[in-house]
Amino acid sequence: MFKFFSSSNIYPLIQKLIKFINSIFFLILAIGLTFALVLSPPDYLQGDAVRIMYVHVPSAWIGLACFSLITLLSVLNFIFKIKNFYFINKSIAPIGLLFTCLAIITGSLWGQPTWGTWWAWDARLTSMIVLLLFYVFYILTFKLLKKEELIIKVSSIIAIIGSINLPIIKYSVDWWSTLHQPASIKFTGSSSIHSEMMLPLMVMLLVFLLYAALIFLMKYKTEIIRIKKKNIKRK
Amino acid sequence: MISNFITMNGYGLYVWLSFSVVFISCTVVYFSTKKTLNKYEQEFLIELQALTIEEKNKALETSKIAQQIYATSSKVN
Repeated sequence: MFKFFSSSNIYPLIQKLIKFINSIFFLILAIGLTFALVLSPPDYLQGDAVRIMYVHVPSAWIGLACFSLITLLSVLNFIFKIKNFYFINKSIAPIGLLFTCLAIITGSLWGQPTWGTWWAWDARLTSMIVLLLFYVFYILTFKLLKKEELIIKVSSIIAIIGSINLPIIKYSVDWWSTLHQPASIKFTGSSSIHSEMMLPLMVMLLVFLLYAALIFLMKYKTEIIRIKKKNIKRK
Repeated sequence: MISNFITMNGYGLYVWLSFSVVFISCTVVYFSTKKTLNKYEQEFLIELQALTIEEKNKALETSKIAQQIYATSSKVN
């Protein structure tokens, strides 16, 4: 059932996908930046500061999505013992860390002109810092531990414990009184964001997703080569 | 108009700084990832070339991935 996920089946696709992403990336980036910085209107309250949303929101979404995926694959790895999921997780984690950092930094840069402060220990911001710490602990297991079985166990436990924080991040703005605004985009029900801002946001999300996919593929390819190199040495 | 675009009605510093931080971080991560990938490809090729012809052929025959890494790494070089 999971034969498809073996590295020998995935590897041939990697090079093709990297080439494909490279060929379309800069065009979509140019379109995204034109929309985000030129064509999209300023907000009636926040003025042009709202443009920070086009880098802040996709970063936060990808940071959260990466950790959700890591948790899912960790659970599946526990059940089905598919070692390839471990390498996929190892390649995803640095991307999640990068985007979580970017979400926090750009959020801080957005907070200063709109809230009048760079930082506040409110529920959303604090839970994002907790996510960042979970990413750091998760990545440290790969750096500090030597035995692969132990790494898989410890990193999976960190991922599963860290996943408790994900709904807290999502609902923190509803459960507590926070400086951070409630969600403007809802998957169920109508979003309160205007289509003139929604379109640039979606294009920028696509740009960020393509970038994340590109880095993932390069990191995953590196992992496969590293394993093959080890095998050659053994022979 | 250009001045408005740069100053963003007083929010230019925050907007440009945000976009710059994202752009610079992503560029640094991209090149560092690419450098690591190239390093491993090179090392893999060196390991493979250090083998005897028989061992090398055996390694390439038994692994589809090894064949592809060898093919793409050879092209790069």
